[in-house]
Parts: sequence; C-alpha cells; structure tokens
Amino acid sequence: MRNPTIRTALATAMILVAGCDAANKPADGNVAGSGKAANAAGKSTIADGLAGNSADSKFVAAAKSVGLDKTLAGPGPYTVLVPDDAAFGKLPAGTLDALSKPDSRAQLTGVLTYHILPGTILAADIAKAIDNGKGKAVLATMGGATLTATKDGDKIVLADAAGTKATITGADDKRSNGIVHQIDSVLMPS
Amino acid sequence: MTKWILAAGAAALAISTPALADRGGHGGGQAAHANQGGGGKAHGAKADRGGHGSQGFAAHGGGKGQGHAARLVGFDDHGKGHGNIKVRGNDRVVVKSRGFDDSRVRVVSNDGNRFAANGLGIGGCPPGLANKGCMPPGQAKKLVGTRWASPLQSAFLPAAYRNWYPDNNDYLYRERDGYVYRIDRNRGLIDGLFPMFSNDGNYFAVGQRYPLDYDFYNVPTQYQSYYPDSSDYLYRYGDGGIYQVNRSNGMVEGIAALLAGDLGVGQRLPMGYGAYNVPLGYRDQYYDTADTMYRYNDGYIYRVDPKTQLIQAVISALI
Repeated sequence: MRNPTIRTALATAMILVAGCDAANKPADGNVAGSGKAANAAGKSTIADGLAGNSADSKFVAAAKSVGLDKTLAGPGPYTVLVPDDAAFGKLPAGTLDALSKPDSRAQLTGVLTYHILPGTILAADIAKAIDNGKGKAVLATMGGATLTATKDGDKIVLADAAGTKATITGADDKRSNGIVHQIDSVLMPS
Repeated sequence: MTKWILAAGAAALAISTPALADRGGHGGGQAAHANQGGGGKAHGAKADRGGHGSQGFAAHGGGKGQGHAARLVGFDDHGKGHGNIKVRGNDRVVVKSRGFDDSRVRVVSNDGNRFAANGLGIGGCPPGLANKGCMPPGQAKKLVGTRWASPLQSAFLPAAYRNWYPDNNDYLYRERDGYVYRIDRNRGLIDGLFPMFSNDGNYFAVGQRYPLDYDFYNVPTQYQSYYPDSSDYLYRYGDGGIYQVNRSNGMVEGIAALLAGDLGVGQRLPMGYGAYNVPLGYRDQYYDTADTMYRYNDGYIYRVDPKTQLIQAVISALI
C-alpha cells in the first residue's frame, strides 16, 4: 500500500548518516564507558574463547554438532549466554543425550539460539534495562523467544517461559565478535 | 518480544480484532500466515519471523476437521491462555490479537505438529508444500523471466528485510505470499524468488539438505562480502540464518550467521530491545541519551526515538 509519508521517511532513512547524530560529549545514561574502541584485531572470537574453556565443553560440542561453531566464529556480534558443563549436568537425565541425536538437531539449534542475543550486551546494560523496567527487563534472542531478566542482589538472573532461572556467574568476557556471559542453568525455549 | 503459541484445531475464524495495519505503516500489524503441512487432521500453523508490527498479527492456517478448540498462548504469560478460540468449519484458522510488540508468532497444533509459515501474504499452503514454502519448485522456476504484475509493485518487504535487500538501479525486491521476488527493474521481469520462510520456521540443521530449488543467491546485502558463493560452498539465507551449503551435495554444513530480523525503519522497537546492545567499537559514537537511543540488529545500528519507540533511521552498517 502506498503511503507517501512512509516512503519519504524510508527514503530519508536509507541515507546512511554515520556519526552525525551523536553528541560530542558523553551523556548521562551511557553505560558503555568503553573509552577507546575495542580493538578487534587482537582479540579472538567467541568460538575461540569457548573452545579454550574446558568448563564449556558441552556447549561447545553441542554448538559444533549443529553448525553454530561457524556462527560464533563469524562477524557477529552476538551476546552468548553459555551454560557451563555443571549447568548441563542439572538437566533431567537423558535430556542432553536426546537433544544430541541427529534427529534432534533442529531442536537443539533452537535451544542454543535461545542463548544467543543480538548485538553486544554488557551485564551493566542488562542491569540498566532492569532498573528502567522497575525490576524486570525482557531480552530478545536470536531464536525468537524472549528471556526475562531480573536482579538478585547484584547478580543478574535470567528466566525462561517455564520459570527456569539462570544466574550470570561470569560476566563480560569480551571477544572480537561479541561477548560471553557464563550462566549456571540451561534455559529452554517453549 | 512476546512469542505466541497457537494450538489450533481445525479451520476457521477465531478471535477477530481490528489492529491489522498495513506493513508499511508505523508498527502496524502484520499477517503471519501459516500453512498446513498435511491433510486429515486439524492443524495449527506456525508463523515464525513473520511480519513486523506492534499492534497485532494474524495467523492463518489451513486445516480440516471441525470443532476443535484452539488455544492462544502468550509466551510471557507463562503458559496461561489468553482466551479460547472456537474454531468453526471453514477452511482457515485466523487468529488476530491485539497489542503485541512481537513480530514473531509460533503456532503449534494440539498434537505438537508445527507448520510452516509463509510469513506474510494471503492464504495458506496446500498440504504437502509447507516445507517448500508453499510453491512447488517447478512452479517457482516458471515464474522466473515472466513479467512482474504492476499491482504487486507496492508489496514492499517487511521493514527489516528492506535493509537486507534494498532496491537499487538494477533490481527491485518485493514480497508476495511469503516470497521475496527480485525484479529486473529495467525489463520488468521476475529475476528470481525465494521463500521468506522455508523450513517450518525451524533452523536448518547440519546434515539436512537445503532446498536449492530456488537457487537464488539471497544472502542479505550487508553480508554478501563475507559470504560469497565459492567453488565448494553456497550460502543461502532462510529462516533466520545464513547457511553454508555444500555445493556438491546440497547439505547444510553450518550456520554462517544468525539474523534476528527484528528491527526495521518505521516500526516500533519490539519488546526485548530495552537493553542497549551496540557493539563495543561503536559505543563512543552511538550511545543512549534522553533524546536518542541506538539499537543493533543484523549488521546495522538503528536510531530510535525514546519517546515514541519508533525506529527512525538506519545509522550505520557495520559490515
């Protein structure tokens, strides 16, 4: 349907304006504080980082089995919530085995993409969103379903639709193509 | 982002609400159309990554049988239904709902079957074609080289997709019935097409055959320099992922990139994007203030008006 207003807006929007919109001094509410730009050249990817962490071996194996290792080595950026091996151990007996079967790969992919968020989100960014939301924030995931974030003291807690909670136990592992937060439970999309 | 699960019985119209606005509008509702995957039973339909809208959606599904209750479940409702839908005996299930920011709808039948969505467009798929995005492959090929009917010229792609497949001097990209069409602008002919949603809304898995029937290099613009086809691999976009496909046997070997498809100029910022997510190297330039917000999606940084939550502009392409 033609809508002149929209088309005009679209035409305007398609003009890429790099850098002209930001003010020159940091404003209140800027969480980043990154100072200088992250030097991607010297940092390794999310995939590299996970492969080097023995406590993430189950996540790494699962990601590889469904081809997400390539994703996490690509340009991204992604924010990955990684349940450590102990977290996988908390799943009901047989769950991971069942998910790891070749027939279940699409389903396993859905579980893993529920732990991958678009862009780079620091723990402080989540905390700020929780504060802005008066105690609760909703986070979009690549898989399509959302997570709910709350605080427990100074820890960030994520919950899936079933109410399973995962706490961020190790935050802000910055990589060249995003960021990793270690969590202590596996979350499930419905 | 609210994810909705519709467990539908057989056909027909369910709740009707207003709330569908056209896709070009400000966060208007989008129809998410779902296709019946098989005959016989009453089925719901799965519409994933369909539409963009903040005000509602419609899920259409085909089905046979009658009298089954359909249940619309709000994802952030922790499973509580938002109302029962009585399904009547015609050919389609239509569920429209109000007030959601989520553009993605998941529809699962009562017996757990999921059904493909052709995303946007009118009507459901005939049985057996759900996996192929509704059009038999041979039929799709026949459309290539035919003239693009002018009434369809206004069928703009959903907002996020317009950044992925921008019109240029050679090609227009338009949508119809869940397919993206590339149109040779100068000759007015269909140059190629591919289904917007092609695998029941699921990701293709390693070891699965990627349907190359459409054989259209459809990697979104911003990723093309990263993923050109090579002698060993083809790269194809589908259902939220760019897939690396073995050229010789057509098998998916990996997921090269995930795409969220959530943000597009002119729509409202969907739920789930309250947290600032701009990549680290860009935070010095693009940070939230009282007057401006920035959010990242799929290779682009978008500027958002904090008061209206409208996505106003694509600011920067990262890749």
